[in-house]
Amino acid sequence: MSETVADYRKYLDPRTLARIGALDLRARLIVEGLMTGMHRSPYQGISVEFAQHRPYVSGDDIRHVDWKVFGRSDKVYLKQYQEETNLHLLLIVDASESMGFGTVQSREDGGSKIEDRALSSILHSRSSPTTWTKYDHATAIAASLAYMAIQQQDSVGLAIFDQTLSRYFKPSNSPGQWKVVVNELQQVPRWNKTNTGRILDQLAEKLTHRSLIVLISDFFDDAASIQKGLRHLRHKKHELMVFQILDPAEIEFPFEDVTLFKGLEERGELLTEPRALREGYLEQLRMFTDELKRICRGMNIDFQRFSSGDSLEVPLSQFLATRAASIK
Amino acid sequence: MTMVEQYPTFSSSGFWLLASGFSLRPLAFAFATPMFFAAGILLAAIPIIIHILNRRRFKTVQWAAMDFLLRAMRRNRRRLKFEQWLLLATRCALLFLLGLALARPLGCDRSSFAMLAQRSGLHVLVIDNSYSMAYEADRPDAKTHLDQAKLLAKGLIDRLTAGGESVAIITAAKPATAVIASPAYDLQAAKDAVDRIEQSYSDTDLVGAITKANEIARDEAKQPVKFLDLFTDATRSAWEPNQKDALAQAGRDAAQQFRITHHSLARGQQSNLATLEVRPSSNLVRAKFNNEFLATIRAFGGATDSSLQWRMDGQILPGRTTAVRPSADSPPVTLTDLPMPSGGPHVLSASLMTDDRLKVDDTRWRVLEVASELKVLIVEGERGIGAMSGSGAFLNLALAPPAEAGSAAVTRGRNTSSYVAPELISDLELSNKVLSDYRAVILCGVGQIQPGEADQIRTFVERGGSLLIFMGEPVTAENYNSVLLPRKLMPGPLTNRVTSSGDQNGFNFDFQPRGVLHPLLSIFAGEEKSGLDTARVFTYWQADIPSNSQVERVLNYLPAGATPSTNPSRSAQATNADPAITMHSVGQGHVIFVSTTANDEWQSFCAKPSYLVLMHELLTGSVSSGDRWMNLFVGQPLEIPANVKLTATPSLKDANQTDIVLDETRSGNGPATYRSRPLTKPGVYTLNTGERKIPIAVNVPDDEADIRTLDDAALTRAMGEAQMEFEGDQLPALAASNDSGNDYGWSIMAIVLVLVGFECFLAMRFGHYRKGTI
Repeated sequence: MSETVADYRKYLDPRTLARIGALDLRARLIVEGLMTGMHRSPYQGISVEFAQHRPYVSGDDIRHVDWKVFGRSDKVYLKQYQEETNLHLLLIVDASESMGFGTVQSREDGGSKIEDRALSSILHSRSSPTTWTKYDHATAIAASLAYMAIQQQDSVGLAIFDQTLSRYFKPSNSPGQWKVVVNELQQVPRWNKTNTGRILDQLAEKLTHRSLIVLISDFFDDAASIQKGLRHLRHKKHELMVFQILDPAEIEFPFEDVTLFKGLEERGELLTEPRALREGYLEQLRMFTDELKRICRGMNIDFQRFSSGDSLEVPLSQFLATRAASIK
Repeated sequence: MTMVEQYPTFSSSGFWLLASGFSLRPLAFAFATPMFFAAGILLAAIPIIIHILNRRRFKTVQWAAMDFLLRAMRRNRRRLKFEQWLLLATRCALLFLLGLALARPLGCDRSSFAMLAQRSGLHVLVIDNSYSMAYEADRPDAKTHLDQAKLLAKGLIDRLTAGGESVAIITAAKPATAVIASPAYDLQAAKDAVDRIEQSYSDTDLVGAITKANEIARDEAKQPVKFLDLFTDATRSAWEPNQKDALAQAGRDAAQQFRITHHSLARGQQSNLATLEVRPSSNLVRAKFNNEFLATIRAFGGATDSSLQWRMDGQILPGRTTAVRPSADSPPVTLTDLPMPSGGPHVLSASLMTDDRLKVDDTRWRVLEVASELKVLIVEGERGIGAMSGSGAFLNLALAPPAEAGSAAVTRGRNTSSYVAPELISDLELSNKVLSDYRAVILCGVGQIQPGEADQIRTFVERGGSLLIFMGEPVTAENYNSVLLPRKLMPGPLTNRVTSSGDQNGFNFDFQPRGVLHPLLSIFAGEEKSGLDTARVFTYWQADIPSNSQVERVLNYLPAGATPSTNPSRSAQATNADPAITMHSVGQGHVIFVSTTANDEWQSFCAKPSYLVLMHELLTGSVSSGDRWMNLFVGQPLEIPANVKLTATPSLKDANQTDIVLDETRSGNGPATYRSRPLTKPGVYTLNTGERKIPIAVNVPDDEADIRTLDDAALTRAMGEAQMEFEGDQLPALAASNDSGNDYGWSIMAIVLVLVGFECFLAMRFGHYRKGTI
């Protein structure tokens, strides 16, 4: 692999992306980094679909006339593969306060212990430009997916929510949609509490087209309400991909000394010795994740959990693979 | 018995914690180093303090996944609290027990806790290997008491804890010897040392042994518990020594440091026949004269019929074996009319023909230096023209009367048959004589003695020679007082020459044949017509004898106007009369002072028959027999006197013809002297001086023969009322000996180590060291 390829692929690492302020640039770099590592163009998989032939009527654009058919049968038919069969991609991003938690530092700040990074996140919570939060990871994934979809002339929509649906943009394949999505993702959230189930219900009512919905959240919410919302979306025949984003500190729980944990989203406080509680915490987290997996598996929803410290290659590849499978 | 009594060493420095536990008996602990116990209590608070401080010093974390944390907390709250408290309690207990272990708790006497303890301490074993321990008892595995004592000692060592208890071993035969002075933790080495203990033939030095044990205890002050085990036969000879006070003091000292146990090897009715002494009845054994010898024999523990066999130079004296039935206080057996074959050293022995169980003291040897020619130097202060006019003429004649014509002496060229060979010289020749060639020097009216001559005489007397001083006209009191008196060669200063006045008939000796007589005059006892009481002395020198001096008055003058007392209680030691004859010791020799002349110048006594007898008695009574260095006890070294002529490097062989090393020492340019190390076995040794072989008799000490045993109370008294435990000739049951002296330090340390492991396990189990993700 050439040096150029290697240079692009480094943009799949959150520690590198954390130093890049512009989200649109982040997304381009991610996608280019991803594409240069593939042998076959992913655009093949999401190429334009042929829908049907219909007789020509006056006023139709002659550019869509199927001249081969005309040559064989002297009948004028049009090839129809227009908007109504394009992919509608809706990106739902959780912008609740819990998504603002992050301990991953940029390359300049790297090398320190996870616990130190966690403490650093306390001091620089959501304010440090070099701390990579779960929300940063989610927006990077969302922007990258949007970029790829736009490149395919697919429609891309965006929903950003906390306890309310704070932003919503209908899927569109217009050239300006990319800018809109990126601008919205770059807005600093209000860091409110979350209510995922109710938001999913609202979106299920809003969406009129059958869409591919990518839900990106930490899902620190009530599993039952989430299940209800997902079921509602599936009922509307939407295709769903669920990406759970967790910070490495949440996955490893590396704390040792006596610590006062102050819950985000007004979830209380706990003064405890983390070493003693670690096993129980990890067990609870595992149980919750297993419950999410079980819910998704029951509704044929792709579920993936990602660490905000891991490379972005995995979720994007997962998305592309899923898309390809659904097209076949 | 209380613990305080058992561990007196720590009763002052430690403190006692009384508690009740598994056993109905009271438990008691003492601490070797109580400061560590206090430190342990303080250390136990450290985890609590750290816990409290940690609760106050915490970090704050903004946390997103709070639900899981709270849920985990709710589910594990009780378990977490239990784990925390368990960990905290473990850490507190660990530090407390560490302090407790370092404090080394002791005791828990006779309780169930004793099983937990590692025994630690010092065991000093005192094993009596004196010759009374050679007593042969009817034990299947041990022939003698000593063999049984060694078995007991090794059995005791077998019960000790390797690595925890140390052993020191002392033998109690004189001189007491520390076989293992630095306590050994190698118990097998200690047992080997016990095996190497040999039967000694000396007496018991219990004082020395216990003193050495006390010294070891003082050197090992850090030992938590000390035990002193005495293995003796509990005999009077061992436990009632001459130094009773010293033994009592040593016992009291030992009781302050040790827990003392006496293991008695004695058997109930043990008895012993012993020949304690063989000696001539007179000071001098003379050749060709009939001599008389005495043998002191005793039976300890019961009289038994036996016979006493005499031998001369190893040959049985025919017809001299006598039947005896000795008891504890039987009179000496006399061997009379024994002519000595020749002069020089001869070995006379007396053996009890018995089958008693302690045979080593049945025979006693005595080397006799038989005088065939007693060389005497008579120094005259006045040389007369006539045959009997010299100041020593009468004395010379008395000591060596002319032999009858045709006698053997005349045939051999001597003109006397006397054993005395006097040499008559002038005082001017004295400085030219080698005095060590003579057994006695007699000064007869010598006017003045030069200091150099006095020094020679002093050395001569110190080495065993005899000095007889007679007064006379030339005697200068000032010279005697300034030259001889400072050298202790005079009984006192000459103060006044007393001469009877014309109307007096002279002075008489205060002699009463029925009275109490000096041993030198014992031959005159009961002799009414000896002439001593009627002899007249016209002139004599008064000697002022201090009342507190060691001078013996042999004979006094009868005060003027007095008559010889019939009171038998009046003795020659009366100090209100002028002394006529005195005797005192200087070194190994004696000085006889006669306050009048040896001839008839100042007295008429020399004309009486008793004069001759008295002069011989004075000579033989003062002359050392010269055989003392040839008669030794086991444990004494042989020192060859300087007057023994050596024509080659001397050599010494014991009764088994084994060479004994003689160490040569030389001071300056003086002659070499030879000395052996303490002789360890009884028997007749042979000293080869080059030109002749001299027998050396080495006997076992006579005071060890008394094997009558003492009861426990008597032993306690002998040890100064020290608290002791008493055991027999078997080891006590194991449980009884294991019930004390327990050191819990190592056991608690083992618990500490287990707790450390437990703490690590808990910390790991409770998630302190675990990493991983879901």
